[in-house]
Amino acid sequence: MSGLATLSIDGRIARLTLNRPEKRNALSLELLEAVHACVDQLAGRTDVSVCVLAGAGGTFCSGMDLKAVLDSPGAPLRLLSSIAELTLKLHWLPQVAVARVRGAAIGGGCGLACVCDIAVTHPDAKLGFPEVDLGVCPAVVAPWLVRSVGAGRARRILLQGGTMSGLQAHTVGMVAHCVPSEELDGFVDELAGRLALAGPQALRVTKKLLGEIDGERLTKLVRDGAALSAQVLEGPEARSMLSKKLGERGS
Amino acid sequence: MIRIERYNDPRFGQVCAIVLDRPERRNALTPAALLDLKRCALELGAEEACRAVLVRGEGPMFCSGFDLSLCKDDPGVLTSLLSGLSEVIRTLRQLGKPVVIAAHGGALAGGCALLGGADLVITHGDAKLGYPVVTLGISPAVSGPFLAKSVGIAAARSMLLDPRLISGADAGRLGLAHVVDTAEDVLPRAQIEAVKLAEKPGHAMRATKAWLNEVDGSNDAASAGAGLAASLSLVGGAEERLLLGEMLARSSKRST
Repeated sequence: MSGLATLSIDGRIARLTLNRPEKRNALSLELLEAVHACVDQLAGRTDVSVCVLAGAGGTFCSGMDLKAVLDSPGAPLRLLSSIAELTLKLHWLPQVAVARVRGAAIGGGCGLACVCDIAVTHPDAKLGFPEVDLGVCPAVVAPWLVRSVGAGRARRILLQGGTMSGLQAHTVGMVAHCVPSEELDGFVDELAGRLALAGPQALRVTKKLLGEIDGERLTKLVRDGAALSAQVLEGPEARSMLSKKLGERGS
Repeated sequence: MIRIERYNDPRFGQVCAIVLDRPERRNALTPAALLDLKRCALELGAEEACRAVLVRGEGPMFCSGFDLSLCKDDPGVLTSLLSGLSEVIRTLRQLGKPVVIAAHGGALAGGCALLGGADLVITHGDAKLGYPVVTLGISPAVSGPFLAKSVGIAAARSMLLDPRLISGADAGRLGLAHVVDTAEDVLPRAQIEAVKLAEKPGHAMRATKAWLNEVDGSNDAASAGAGLAASLSLVGGAEERLLLGEMLARSSKRST
């Protein structure tokens, strides 16, 4: 494993950590492959009930690695498909997925938080989907956001772009808990401990049922969403806005 | 009673408004007004220079719903009103640019249903919103498929079955309104929000709105059609003739 994602298992609790802190855990193809490998490993573990997803360093995940996207033709679709498949795997993961969102969860990173069963953050964290501001369409994450906050609120969030505070994310229902920053780790540990005490089979069956209520249509939408996001990303509007943005950053 | 408003003010450059302009009747909707609303929406939808559409009402409230006084002599009018309303909501939803509604004062019955076509609804804390039409033997089912998307099934049940009105503050909590302003004049805030949306990259906005329509079932013509059919099934029936007739008799007595 590349070390871009780490998995440690202690009793019934697994910890999956995005480990590219120098790039604020931006989702590159390599990092995504490492996360896929961890999730695949967990899928067969009936002895594990909880998976805590977190980011190394001060940021949960800053979203898609835009530099990697512009690198080569076909890169957008490969990257977006990998994000799409990862969200689907997390959705069907037998363990309860808990996202510990410290610092920021942006774009695809916020999508990962939304697909987790329970997301926890702190009031001054930054969450959201600024895709449209960059000429990009957040199509992969749209089905997950609609599921988590309802279609009316999702419309506002995705069309207005930008980001919101952890407190606002909690008010709209995007995260289940919002606790003071210094209590975040303790709160998540306590939550994971509580879940680990529950009947593992009861948790598994309940999560599976909730997934089935969402329905098979979700799978198709997420996959079609990846193709649409990639198509918009390859278009001239997004290309010119992203190059400008990266240029600003580089200078 | 419906007109397009183009701003010459550079601050509102790429926003155009559709104005409900019949303040003396609290912007009550007629079949002709609904046709005009749809025509204006399509006109602005096709206009390249228009990047966001604002819908607002003149006078004391955004919209009091259907002009039921027209139904007195011709029950067929209600059929046109219901079909026209369904068409307008669907047209707003399908526009390739964001639609913002400034709902000040009140948005009642058909006026509240219009909010189902908007991407962003601005209201204020003590505005009155709701569907008080079951008391007239009219079913608000036509709004059901749209309302359920914005507030969820449970809240939609309570709003469509219980004829009470809710406050703008409650509409914000339910997700029917997205911004709850403190001032009753919500127009300045609505204009600011519309300008922000108009300034975003057009291609990404169009793609994202179209995709949200696909994801949340807004493109499902069958469910919109079923809502309309349910409302239409009661038109001209004994219950509606009795309850609506009583209301119309009371209001004509008042006006004489």
